[in-house]
Amino acid sequence: MNTNLLLPYKFRKWGWVIFIPSFILGVLVLFLNVQFDWLGSKVFSIYAGSGLKILNDRDTGQFFSIISGNYTQTFVGVLCLVSLMMIAFSKEKTEDEFILLTRMDSLLWATYINYFILIFCFLFFFDFEFLYIMIFNMFTILIFFIFRFNYILYKERKNMPYEK
Amino acid sequence: MKNNLRVERAIKNITQEELARIIGVSRQAINSIEAAKYVPSTVLAIKLSDYFGKTVNDIFFLEESD
Repeated sequence: MNTNLLLPYKFRKWGWVIFIPSFILGVLVLFLNVQFDWLGSKVFSIYAGSGLKILNDRDTGQFFSIISGNYTQTFVGVLCLVSLMMIAFSKEKTEDEFILLTRMDSLLWATYINYFILIFCFLFFFDFEFLYIMIFNMFTILIFFIFRFNYILYKERKNMPYEK
Repeated sequence: MKNNLRVERAIKNITQEELARIIGVSRQAINSIEAAKYVPSTVLAIKLSDYFGKTVNDIFFLEESD
């Protein structure tokens, strides 16, 4: 009973290979404002402005326009997300129904924890601090899942009796 | 649900690892079934009992709590 929605086993390794440098880069981008000039000075945006036009007549925002900006954050963020998904959703060496159940269980657990923390932060953080939390929140659900899923499998492996 | 998979395995003198490989599941799955922590699907239960040449009822049985 295998699901076809999982990635091949070897994607996991490549996920880590991409994730580790992306994560380090991500920390530099987010906290030290590192920016690569070769990643452009103009970006395409679906909507840019200070609020949605339909909500506010005085807004000068524009749909489908080229605005000044840089793709560094976008690039690093996308790399982190893609690599985390590769780590999270690639098959185990022998993917079976027990592993699948553990996977689903961990996904549910990660979703609960993630939203519990988000609701807490929603209540007690505001403005730019909350924006930062939303940025972290993009990644935390996958990180919680990876942590919990691998912890359960590790615990199972450790509990197995020794055999020749 | 209880089972006597461990006993059947001992009779055949086969390790969890070997049984897992033959059936095509992870060793964690076999271990969790033996520890009665995981109830296998019908397909897996039939595969296991087929391997031991028994019926499913010979290997798996309900408990009072089921």
